[in-house]
Amino acid sequence: MIQNVIDGVLTGSYLSLGAIGLTLVMHILRFANFSHAELLSLGAYAALVCDALVTALAPVLAIKLAPLSLTWALGLAIVLSMVLTGLSAVVIDRLVFRRVRERGAELSMVFASFGMALVIRNIIGLIFGLSPKLYSQEIAFATVLSFDPLILVKPDQVFVLLAALVLMFALHLVLSRTTFGYSLRAVAENPALAQINGVNLARTIVAVWLIGGGLAAVAGIFYGMSHQIIPVMGRDLVLPIFAATIVGGIGSVYGAVLGGFIVGLAGNLALLVLPAGYTPSVPFLLILAVLILRPHGLFGEARA
Amino acid sequence: MIGVISYLVFFATTASILAIAVLGLNLQWGNTGLFNGGVVAFFGAGAYGTLILGGAAQAGHLGGYGLAYPLALLGGMIAAGLMAWIVGLLTLRLRHDYLAIATFGVAVAFENLMRNAEWLAGGAKGVRGFERPLRSALGDGFIYNLLFFLAVLLILIAVYLFLERLVASPFGRLLRAVREDEEAAASLGKSPARLRLTAFVTGSVILGLAGGLYGTFYAFVSPQDILPTLTFQIWAMLIVGGAGNNRGAIFGAFLIWGAWTASGWALSRFAPVEAQLYTGSLQFVLIGCVIVGMLMWRPQGLLPERLVVSQRGKPPSVQ
Amino acid sequence: MFNHTHRAASAGLAFGLAVLGTTASAQECTTKIGAVLPTSVDWGRPIAETAQFAVDQVNEAGGAAGCQIEMVLRDTQVDPKVGVDAAKALVDLEGVKVMLGAVSSGVSMPILTSVTVPGGVMQMSCCSSSTAFTGLAEEGKTEGLWFRTFATTAVQSAIGAKVAQDQGYGSVAILYKNDDWGQDMGRMIAADFEAVGVAVTTSIAINDAQPSYRAEVTEALRTQPDAIYLALYPAEGTAAVREWISLGGTQNMILANSLKSDEFRENVGMQYLGSALGTDTSSPRSDSADAFRAAYMARFDSEPNGPGLANSYDATMIALLAMEAAGPDATGAQIAEAVARVTDPAGTPVTADAAGFAQARDVLGGGGTVAYQGATGNVQFDVNGDVSAPAVVWSFTETGTQEVSYLPLDEVDAFIGSLR
Repeated sequence: MIQNVIDGVLTGSYLSLGAIGLTLVMHILRFANFSHAELLSLGAYAALVCDALVTALAPVLAIKLAPLSLTWALGLAIVLSMVLTGLSAVVIDRLVFRRVRERGAELSMVFASFGMALVIRNIIGLIFGLSPKLYSQEIAFATVLSFDPLILVKPDQVFVLLAALVLMFALHLVLSRTTFGYSLRAVAENPALAQINGVNLARTIVAVWLIGGGLAAVAGIFYGMSHQIIPVMGRDLVLPIFAATIVGGIGSVYGAVLGGFIVGLAGNLALLVLPAGYTPSVPFLLILAVLILRPHGLFGEARA
Repeated sequence: MIGVISYLVFFATTASILAIAVLGLNLQWGNTGLFNGGVVAFFGAGAYGTLILGGAAQAGHLGGYGLAYPLALLGGMIAAGLMAWIVGLLTLRLRHDYLAIATFGVAVAFENLMRNAEWLAGGAKGVRGFERPLRSALGDGFIYNLLFFLAVLLILIAVYLFLERLVASPFGRLLRAVREDEEAAASLGKSPARLRLTAFVTGSVILGLAGGLYGTFYAFVSPQDILPTLTFQIWAMLIVGGAGNNRGAIFGAFLIWGAWTASGWALSRFAPVEAQLYTGSLQFVLIGCVIVGMLMWRPQGLLPERLVVSQRGKPPSVQ
Repeated sequence: MFNHTHRAASAGLAFGLAVLGTTASAQECTTKIGAVLPTSVDWGRPIAETAQFAVDQVNEAGGAAGCQIEMVLRDTQVDPKVGVDAAKALVDLEGVKVMLGAVSSGVSMPILTSVTVPGGVMQMSCCSSSTAFTGLAEEGKTEGLWFRTFATTAVQSAIGAKVAQDQGYGSVAILYKNDDWGQDMGRMIAADFEAVGVAVTTSIAINDAQPSYRAEVTEALRTQPDAIYLALYPAEGTAAVREWISLGGTQNMILANSLKSDEFRENVGMQYLGSALGTDTSSPRSDSADAFRAAYMARFDSEPNGPGLANSYDATMIALLAMEAAGPDATGAQIAEAVARVTDPAGTPVTADAAGFAQARDVLGGGGTVAYQGATGNVQFDVNGDVSAPAVVWSFTETGTQEVSYLPLDEVDAFIGSLR
């Protein structure tokens, strides 16, 4: 039970990171972006390539930061991958979403994102093959925190949780203390009015994609460190991330964080209640329950 | 030559069944504005309902009621309708994104139940042992397929005519009124909640009909038939064809299913041998590009809705 | 539709070819066979590669029934509608008489009921394991056109129980893939463990496409079993086992043959797989038994390890042998009938490679029958198109796998009998 709660929180950390980017995009650009989870794959694979490159160029960096399985090289790769993924998100927006946005309705965007998800996922599969990849072949052992009840925690996961919390706090500062944060909120409230007041809309959108893409990359890499990197990881993660976003309420960064943890916990606690075969339904039953009580999610607001 | 005709009949049967499903969704989304993300659950309820009610007894799970085919099909439709009624009561007050994810969850839960509950519908093995109607009289060659296609086509036309009349009726105008401005509709003394529920259940019954025909066509259904891919396919058909336009819905079904199958055929025929193993992934890339390209080029769909009564307010747009 | 395209040859050329023999004349025409396999899925692509490999070997040996073989491959996307449509197109537009596939039972079944049986086409699946096919065949609804080279799960499960018994494990936790194969496997292995007196601490379904299996693994760990039984595919198997080991779970593992995979071995790591024992069906002991393995390694530079690879090879080979036995322009039903002539236990043994195929051609041409010594064993089909086979227990090595023990068919049958 305690173990499941701990696992749930740890799983929740990367879901939260993914959900923050999604909630920003859904709020500012007003569409359910089904390709958001593919940015996680993109980030994970970009880091895989960067890690290999950095290690090849500077073999000294392949030293582990014990007790983590993280190396200096992978640490550097994470930063590179954040930038690359953020830029890819901007490019995808330029090439596809902006054009659809200019002409179509809300739902066109949703389906364009569905199409883009197929394209990105399968191109990754063509380039890297369909089998799983790993940052490190070695298995990082869990540390025993307590024997009775048995509680096990992996150092990597604690790092992931702390890193996620630091990133979330940094984002919180940006959103609440900077002019950029205000302009972002202004655009979300009313794009036309924000523009009249001198907010550069195009630049704000670029920033949203950069932040969303960067966080997605970290989420993808963290997922890859805890589990494995596989072309279909976006497909497997898209629903938990959506669930986190919706439970938290679209547009609320804090809601997304909380939603991620709730979905993580639900997934890990489900087995205590239901046979294993039914566990994939649990996050959705949870969403259903939350939405019946609060139709706009925990922190969301009604919007015309 | 007979081979080509035989294949085309087969293709058109599947496409027509899908077109019926797209029509059902069009009533929900195109006419009423309900973002049903769980299309496949209602489709599946129809398929499972029909096969369980009309099939031979199977060891270990429900079945063997041996109902006459029309009754079995009707039973499948009722199953879909009942499910829609319950789901609708719970979720229809949610809007757009929230409704979509909630109904999507219903579809995942439905698939999960079918996959795990062996006592109910055979679990992952699925339901078999269904005898296609009139098969003993007609054999199962080309003639059977041709007659089955004609039957499906007639049903498609009947559903189309029914929906055209419904949409043109005062009831249809009310649905669009709810879609465009719910408060205005309510101020006229109409109950938007009840209207939405009626449209949702009616659309789902049509989805269930399509599912029942699908199960009949393959004489088999398993959890693999009700994965989220199907929801995506049916939505893509509606969006490309033109939401709000029944003819667009049918056209979209044939077009997307045609593109889906033709791309596989073309790749298997023209891609070089070394590339054959990659055609599966390539095909998905192509399908994705077609959908994205379509939305960039013609976002209202190929046959857009013809607005007669209501003036559509401009949606809040960015940029 | 024409599936043979004999081009008219001049009298002189024909004479020349007659002198050169059958191999040369085989270049004159091409026969198409169909394959519907999930090439867009991680474990599906190698299955298709292996089928193509078998076709290449037969072509090297001069083709089947006097013609070169072209395998027209279509992706099923693991979507029944897509698979059924692809199969129908292959039958109607390409005129194939033999259909290889599909992998998932949920795709194979509608193809069988709505395309191949109505069209009189022989269908040979490598990997569809559902017991529903046996039921369908018993009702006479497959019309003898259905075959599968996937030995019934009973053999795998019984041998798995035997391993647990021999290793002296008192309790075992089961993790099974939540599809038709895994559900059958999970149910049967649990019964077999009980039969040999091994306690089952828990039996947990592993669903496809889940981002994490942490909760499932934690649950299994909680029951503190002596060993763990895994009926999983490599992708989720790797994820679950890495999780299991990192949490300090026992390294006593019993693996179904689906995990006999290089990908699994490399990603989990040899240092943790020392006490892992796998089960599989096997070739009978003979000099030719390694033919498939050797040829496969020459072609792909790795061992034929992965779910369904050996089964896919055998499915293709047997289908082509049956085409050879049935002769040119045979119907699907005639080819299906000829399967018995190439898997006849009393026939001349032939190896699973190009040379074996050439030898089979001579024997069949002389009116004899052959016993195909396949990659999965001395394949014999019963009346329902199911196979039974000898079994082997294997373990991982630094470079691949090695055999730990071998059980001939009669021992397998005797052991299964003792369980019931």
